[in-house]
Amino acid sequence: MKHTLQQIFRSPKFVVGFSIFMAILLIVLIYPLFITDSPLKIIGQGTFFPPGIYVSAYDSLGAPKFTLNLTDAAAKRVADKLGDQERADIRDWLVADGIPETEIDIHNTEKLLEQWAQNYDPNKKIPGMTFAKQRYYQRLDESLKGLLSKEGAIIAQKNTETGALEEAEIINQTDYVNIDQVASVRVLPLGTDNFGRDVLTELVAATRTSLQIGLVAGLVATLIGLTLGLLAGYIGGTVDDIINFVTNLFIVIPSFVLLILISYSVGQESRGAFLVATVIGLTAWPWTARAVRAQVISLRNRDHVNLSKLSGHSIVHIILTDILPYIASYVIMALILQISSGILAEAGLSILGLGPKTTEVPTLGLMMNWAMIYQAHVQGRWWAYFPVLMTIALITFSMNLMNTGLDQVFNPALRD
Amino acid sequence: MANTMLEVHELTTKYVTRFREDVYAVDHVSLKVEEGKSLGIAGESGCGKSTLALSLMGYYFPPLHYMSGDILINGTNISGMKPDDVRKSILGREIAYIPQAAMNALNPTQKIIHFIEDVILEHDLYVTKKDIYERARKLFETVGLPAEVLEKYPVELSGGMKQRTVIAVSVLLLPKVLIADEPSSALDVTSQKMVIKMLKQLMEAGFISSMIFITHELPLLYNVTDDIMVMYAGQIVEKAGAQEAVFDPLHPYSKGLMGSIIVPEKGLRDVKLTAIPGVPPNLKKPPMGCRFAERCKLAKPECRVTSVPLRDAGNGRTYRCILSENELREAYAREAFQNAK
Amino acid sequence: MAVHYLTVRCRVKGYWKYFLNKLGWFLVTFVFAFLLNFILPRLMPGDPVAAIVSRLAQGMSNASGVQAIYQQYADLFGTNKPMLEQFFLYVRNVFHGDFGLSFSQYPRPVADVLRASIGWTVALQFPAIIVGWLIGNTLGALAAYLKGSFDKILMPISIFISNLPQFGMAVILLVVFAVNLKWFPTSGGYGFDLLPSFTWPFIWSAITHYQLPFWSIVLIAIGGQAIGMRSMAIYELNADYVKYSRFMGIKDRKIIGYVFRNAMLPQITGLALSIGTMVGGALVAEIIFSYPGLGTTLLSGVMGQDYPLISASTLIITMMVLTANFLLEILYGIIDPRIKAAQAD
Repeated sequence: MKHTLQQIFRSPKFVVGFSIFMAILLIVLIYPLFITDSPLKIIGQGTFFPPGIYVSAYDSLGAPKFTLNLTDAAAKRVADKLGDQERADIRDWLVADGIPETEIDIHNTEKLLEQWAQNYDPNKKIPGMTFAKQRYYQRLDESLKGLLSKEGAIIAQKNTETGALEEAEIINQTDYVNIDQVASVRVLPLGTDNFGRDVLTELVAATRTSLQIGLVAGLVATLIGLTLGLLAGYIGGTVDDIINFVTNLFIVIPSFVLLILISYSVGQESRGAFLVATVIGLTAWPWTARAVRAQVISLRNRDHVNLSKLSGHSIVHIILTDILPYIASYVIMALILQISSGILAEAGLSILGLGPKTTEVPTLGLMMNWAMIYQAHVQGRWWAYFPVLMTIALITFSMNLMNTGLDQVFNPALRD
Repeated sequence: MANTMLEVHELTTKYVTRFREDVYAVDHVSLKVEEGKSLGIAGESGCGKSTLALSLMGYYFPPLHYMSGDILINGTNISGMKPDDVRKSILGREIAYIPQAAMNALNPTQKIIHFIEDVILEHDLYVTKKDIYERARKLFETVGLPAEVLEKYPVELSGGMKQRTVIAVSVLLLPKVLIADEPSSALDVTSQKMVIKMLKQLMEAGFISSMIFITHELPLLYNVTDDIMVMYAGQIVEKAGAQEAVFDPLHPYSKGLMGSIIVPEKGLRDVKLTAIPGVPPNLKKPPMGCRFAERCKLAKPECRVTSVPLRDAGNGRTYRCILSENELREAYAREAFQNAK
Repeated sequence: MAVHYLTVRCRVKGYWKYFLNKLGWFLVTFVFAFLLNFILPRLMPGDPVAAIVSRLAQGMSNASGVQAIYQQYADLFGTNKPMLEQFFLYVRNVFHGDFGLSFSQYPRPVADVLRASIGWTVALQFPAIIVGWLIGNTLGALAAYLKGSFDKILMPISIFISNLPQFGMAVILLVVFAVNLKWFPTSGGYGFDLLPSFTWPFIWSAITHYQLPFWSIVLIAIGGQAIGMRSMAIYELNADYVKYSRFMGIKDRKIIGYVFRNAMLPQITGLALSIGTMVGGALVAEIIFSYPGLGTTLLSGVMGQDYPLISASTLIITMMVLTANFLLEILYGIIDPRIKAAQAD
């Protein structure tokens, strides 16, 4: 046993797979200890906030100010509002307005803005310009106002008696706040999803549920497959014929069709994660049954089994002590494969809209489903689907690597 | 004096393992087989006898590599030849091979006749398919195989039939030397006898000029071959006439090997191998002295430090031990006496 | 000569035995799949008609009106009759190609909805799976033969790709080639401004829309097949006949031919067994591209609580998979002599 374990951990494939899997597992277990929010809590008003550090604008006002004289601050401010695209757009408008192109230098910010301020008229109709483009220029004009101003921004307070606004504070362009001194800062490493939920928290919870679904599905499938395979292989005869018939039947009838039919018939309301997992397990056992049966048949007439039979041991005893230990490695490999295909099956079902109930827990498949329905992929909101895909791929990849590693340890012919 | 069909001089070959380690499985082996004669090679599994069989073909592919030495077939040295020339003009024509597991030696999805066509066409023997068929049919009838076997797939043949087919295909081009690597080990006793009878007949009928027969079952050799060579850890430890080798072995390993064999029955093979206590040394790092010393009852301290050359015992007999013939015989007699008590 | 004739006849007989065996098996699985398709939804708690009516009747306060709708649908689908009668009704309808009326696209018949999508799915999936199989097997065989860096690079990639879910590959291709590079359209089977016809713009549009779904299926198939073929070929390369053929002077190129043929043949059975899973994954991939095939139809059935549409789709998918499986097995029996021999015994 110790020797086998040593051998397994010497297989590079297994070790890589095991490390990836363990890393995922650790994150899933440790993350909730620090971020205790409910994964389905809607925090963002709006869809798909990009990843980043969100600093409370209100709290920043109250935070202590520090004066930093940074020479590039103004340039940065301009560059943020006036990129190459905007400069080109301004030139286009000005040219369309009748200003010769030679007079426009899009790299001379001051002159460009001056020309823009002098000539731009939001109400002017330029022939051939779409309404959307017109709106764009209006927004652009708005954002450029006061860009080159050297003045600070004024914070006004409402006088409780007169109701008039009174200057309370001026925020200079050189004023800075320390992010640590702002009361409320929220890091959203993966932004928010279409409902405004924190994607990372959701992803961790989803990974956890998906792993549980995979585990349950895998255990159910393996248990059924193992039992049927053992019975068919060891007892043989009519029992074998019947079990083998049923197994072959369910191997050719596509299991996802059964999954769809059952999941649909069960109905959205009663479809919890556990139930979905069980259903997946119930449709996935035939492969395991087949593999176990073949293994048991090859073992059935080995000397040690015959010896045990002659000694009058019961079938249960023989199966437990003379057969199971010899096929244990195959069963474990089959279980690993079943877990990873269970996770994939849940994802596929969820994309079809037949996944677990959407209000209870997130799963990787449901997250994928939401992202697809809200067109995250077409809109370029990568954070809503790409981390989910990568998680699925990493889980199945790591499990498959472990499996290949085990296979090479137990079937030396495959080593080269 | 008969012609020498196969002469091997100081042949050394090595295996390169997955971990790039060198294993010298054939270490300075010399042997000679004359026309009409047969040589048996015996030893435990892992002693290098199967590697020797592969090495004798003069055609190497990974993990087996040629190191040094000469192989002369009917006077022609094939060691210096280009591999592709060896393949075209030597393999099958001058020297042929019957593999250990002859049952699986034929491509399962190819009809026998198509394999025969491939073999003959490969050697630039320009003949029509009709000629090939006629030639194969005649050969098959000579060895007692029905001609329709040619039109079958290997899976359609029984084990014994497959075995005979492989032998027939091997001698198709009338090789000078036939190397049979445990051709009978996977068969039942009746089929074993049949195979041996067939090989003998082929030799008598002139299909092959000489033969090397490799096995771990010594009594089999006594019935089949003229001479016997015992291998241990990649080296020859004893060479003698079949009669002497079986009934009067000199080297302690040969002695142990002969003594350990009771009944050549399938299933008992594993028991037999453990009859000499211990296992052959690791050839990645062969011992400095005598390679058998670790397991030898007669070993002395100096056995472990000095390498032992082959000694001539006259009559074409050689053995590899520091003890003289007399010392060895004395020791064996003492042992027998003690066992009797 | 007589003996020769006998063996030939024997071989032919072996093949017939194999063929009849497979045909019988095909029919049995077919009947079973048919039964399951009928029974499974009916075994479950809840009444599909009730569910659909409650959805339709939302906002309707008139109880007798709801009752009338229920009665109408129940009659239409026969759910208020005894199980056995329902079954015969179902069988009769299916054999007439009549799957009832669609709930979500009422009053379009289900057969009508499906007819269009079957063509798209067949034209997309089967070529893709075959191309993926061929490329995958070739790469796997090369990896086994060449070993070294080719193997070391190809294998991890193959393992990783084959572990991506089909829809994952679909999303990645979509984002890279349609959204970012804009080489291909993002969704649909043809331009939304076109009507299916045999005109050049339509065909061109269909071809460009075909590429991404096609390659997403191909790539996944390549990964899985390459891995299978590689281990198969390694196994065959170590077979005894390789060594024997070498020592009989056969050149390596020819031996490699033997090996790959022998390794390739069982891969056909492998394909037959995995085609169900592959089709299932590809159906989900269709959804990502809104490809007008069965996958998308199935999704719209689920979304619209369209029970007759779902049931008919699953039945047709099963039939397609079983037929493909049967054809592959027959093909395998024809080209692998080991099958005939095994049957003739």
